[in-house]
Amino acid sequence: MSETPELDDVFGTKPQEAPLGLVVEGSLSSGLTVKLDPRFAMEKLAVGRYVVIRGQQTGRRFFGIITDVALGATNPDLARRPPQPEDRFAAEVYRGGVAYGIMHVSPMLMLDEEEEEPRPVKTIPSHFSPVHEATPADVERVFGAEDATHFHVGAPLDMEHVQVNLDLARFVERSSGIFGKSGTGKSFITRTLLAGIIKAGLASALIFDMHNDYGWTVRDEGGREYKGLRQLFPDGRVSVVTLDEETSRARNSKYDRVLRIGYQEIEPEDVEMLAALLGLSDVQTGALYYLRRQLGASWIAKLLELEEAEEELRELVESGRIVAGTLGAIQRKFEFFRRMGFLVPGKGDDVVDDIFSRLNMGVSVVLEFGTYGNTLAAYILVANYLTRRIHQRYVNQKNRAAGGKADEPKPLVIVIEEAHKFLDPQVAGHTIFGAIARELRKYNVTLLIVDQRPSGIDDEVMSQIGTRVTCLLDNEADIRAVFSGVSGAATLREVLARLDTRQQALILGHAVPMPVVVRTRDYDKEFYAALGVVSEEDLGRKAQEGIDTLY
Amino acid sequence: MGMDEQEALIGRVTRCSTRGFVGAVHIPKPEVPTFGDFCLAEAQEGRSRVIGVIYDISIQDDELARQMAIAKDPTREQLADTQRARLVPVEYAALAVGYHKDGAYHYTLPPQPPLTMATIHAMSAQEVRDFTERLDFLPLILGAPQIPVDDLLAAALRTAAATRPEEVRRPYLVRAGRACARLLGRDLPRLENLIHSLQP
Ligand SMILES: Nc1ncnc2c1ncn2[C@@H]1O[C@H](COP(=O)(O)OP(=O)(O)OP(=O)(O)O)[C@@H](O)[C@H]1O
Ligand SMILES: [Mg+2]
Repeated sequence: MSETPELDDVFGTKPQEAPLGLVVEGSLSSGLTVKLDPRFAMEKLAVGRYVVIRGQQTGRRFFGIITDVALGATNPDLARRPPQPEDRFAAEVYRGGVAYGIMHVSPMLMLDEEEEEPRPVKTIPSHFSPVHEATPADVERVFGAEDATHFHVGAPLDMEHVQVNLDLARFVERSSGIFGKSGTGKSFITRTLLAGIIKAGLASALIFDMHNDYGWTVRDEGGREYKGLRQLFPDGRVSVVTLDEETSRARNSKYDRVLRIGYQEIEPEDVEMLAALLGLSDVQTGALYYLRRQLGASWIAKLLELEEAEEELRELVESGRIVAGTLGAIQRKFEFFRRMGFLVPGKGDDVVDDIFSRLNMGVSVVLEFGTYGNTLAAYILVANYLTRRIHQRYVNQKNRAAGGKADEPKPLVIVIEEAHKFLDPQVAGHTIFGAIARELRKYNVTLLIVDQRPSGIDDEVMSQIGTRVTCLLDNEADIRAVFSGVSGAATLREVLARLDTRQQALILGHAVPMPVVVRTRDYDKEFYAALGVVSEEDLGRKAQEGIDTLY
Repeated sequence: MGMDEQEALIGRVTRCSTRGFVGAVHIPKPEVPTFGDFCLAEAQEGRSRVIGVIYDISIQDDELARQMAIAKDPTREQLADTQRARLVPVEYAALAVGYHKDGAYHYTLPPQPPLTMATIHAMSAQEVRDFTERLDFLPLILGAPQIPVDDLLAAALRTAAATRPEEVRRPYLVRAGRACARLLGRDLPRLENLIHSLQP
C-alpha cells in the first residue's frame, strides 16, 4: 500500500488541520477507501457523518458521507500475530504503522473552485487526496438557507447548530415515503413535514389519520402532550373530519365535520380492496359486480336485509347466475359493514364534495379515525373510498383546466399509514394508490406513505418514491426496499442500520441535494413558535395588553 | 556546532568510502565512541560533513597484548600501561546515513567520502536531535549489508530518543517504531524483535 512518508512531518505540528486520512482506492460506483491518519482516533468516527475531500489535480472539492469504518493491516499475518496484550508500546506502534483504520466514503457532490452550487459527482478525487471532516460551513453550503420553500427538518449528526433544510417544493412534487420501525418517530416527522408544507402553502394534505396522530392533541407514552396540526394552524388552514364523533368528543378534540358514507355510495371497487381482509374469495369478489348490477344502488342494504329483498335474492339464485353458498358467504362477510358506525343507510351526504372543495381551496383535511383506526378494514375502506373519488375530481378539474375552463387544482398530498396494505404487489397494480404513485403528478396528486414495512410495497411503486425519509430499520428486506431504485444508495446500508432508535432519520432522494442523516427537529414549543403559532395563553395575554393600551 | 571542538573530537578517518568510514582514536573515553552513536567526518574540504552511525568498535591485538593476557599476576600499572599507553588504536566503523551541507541535513549517501585523516567529531545532543527529527535515515541503516542492522537501528533510535526531553521520548519512539513497521511490515517476527528493543 502506498503511503506518504512525509505526512507525519508535514502535518505533525498542526493536528487540528490535519486530514482524517487519504483516499487510497475506490470507484464512483462502490465508493472510496480512505486510510486513516494514525493520529486521528477512529473511535471518534461515525457512519453518516460528512467529509470533504480536496481534489489534488483540480481545486474541486468533493462532499461525501462516511458509510463504513473498518480495520486494516498491511500484513494479513498481523491478525494472527498481534502484539502481546500487555505490550502497550508495541500496540501503539503497530496502530498506524502496519495496522491502520479505514473508512469508506460515498462521494455525493462536487464543488468546483469558482462555483457556488454543488453538483452530483461524476468522477472521484485522485489518489492520496486528503479527506477532512466537513465543517458546519460546508454543510450549510450544501443544504442552503431556510426560506419560503426550504424547511428546517433537523440537524446533521454532531452538528446541532446546522440546519438541514428540505426542499418542500420538490418533496411534494413526487410521491414520498416515511419509513422506520415502530416507535422510531415516523408520525412525528410526518407531522413536522406536513406543518412545513401547510405553512409554505405548497399543497393541501389529505391525511388518513389511523392513530389520531395529526389532528388534535397527541399524547406520547410518557403522557406528554403535543399540538396537532389543527392547533398549529388555528386560522382554518386545517380541518378535522372525524369518523368517530364519540371518541373525538371524549378526547376533547375540535372537529369540523363528521364523515358519513351512505351504503348506496359504496361500489364493488371499494369493497374489492377489502377482499383479503374480509376473506372474500375470487369468485365471491367477482360476484359483487354482478350483485351491484342486479340489485342496484341499494345492493348493500339489500344484502344486509335492511331493505326488503328476499324475493329478488331468491330469483338470482334460481336463475343460476349465483350459487346460494356464494351469496350466503357474501352476506355473512358483509356483516362487517353493520359494525362500521360511519356507514349509514341511504345516500349519505355531500362529504366528498365538501372535502374536495376544502382541499382545492388549500385547506388540509385530517380524517380522524377514532376507534375505527384499530380496524384495518375500516381504514382501507375509507381511504380507498375517499381517495378514488377525490382523485376523480382532481382528474376532472385538471382536464377542465387544460381546456381553459377551470383553475389548476391545488396540489394535493395524500397521507396514508400502513401503506403496504394499499400498495402490496398483489393489489398495487389495480388500486387507486398504485395508480397515483405511478402517474407521478400528472393530476397534481401525490402520496406521502408512512410505513414500517417498506418491503411489503410493490417495487414499481417504490421506485416512484422521490424522497425517502427513513428512520431505523433492522429488517434486511426492508432496508433493501428503501434503497431500491436509488443508484449508489446501497453503500448507505450501514448508515441506515446504525441509526438511533428514535428521532434520527436518513433522508435521500428528490428533496435533498445529497443523502443526509439528521437528528429530527424537536417537536416542541420552539417549533410551534417557529411556525408562528401563538399559544392560547399568549393570545389571552395579547388581548389583555390590547385592552390595557386601549383604555 | 554548539560543542567545544576539542571535547567532541573523537579521532581521524583511516579508511572510507561513500558508504561509511573507519576512524581511529588513541584512547577512548568511557562514553565515546559507542555502538549506535552519531558522528561527523569532514569531507569536500570542509564543505560537507558526512554523518555516520557507529556500528563496530575494535582494537587490534599485538604481541605485547597477547603476552600480557597470559602473564601471571600482572600489576595494575602493567595492565593500565598496556591498555592505554600503547600505540594501538581503537578503531570504529561508521555507516554513512546522510550528510550536512549548506546548513541542511540530507538523508542520502554523501556525494564524496571524507579523506583519510579527516577529523571525526561526535555529534552534539542538539545535532543528533535535529538530524533524527526526520526518520529518513532508517532505510540507509536497514539496507546496509553484513552488519547487525536491527541492533544498530534500535541503538541509534535509542540514542536519538535520549537527546530529547523525557516527555517526548516515548512519542518519538512510537513514531520511529511506526516508520520501522512501514519498512519491515512484511517480516513480523523481525519487526516484533525490533520493537521490543525500542521499548522505552
Ligand atoms: N421530533 C420529535 N420531537 C419530540 N419527540 C419525538 C420526536 N420524534 C419522536 N419523538 C418521540 O418518540 C415517540 C415515537 O414517535 P412516533 O409516534 O412518531 O413513532 P412512530 O414511528 O410513528 O411509531 P408507530 O410505528 O408505532 O406509529 C413519540 O411518542 C415521542 O415521544
Ligand atoms: Mg406512528
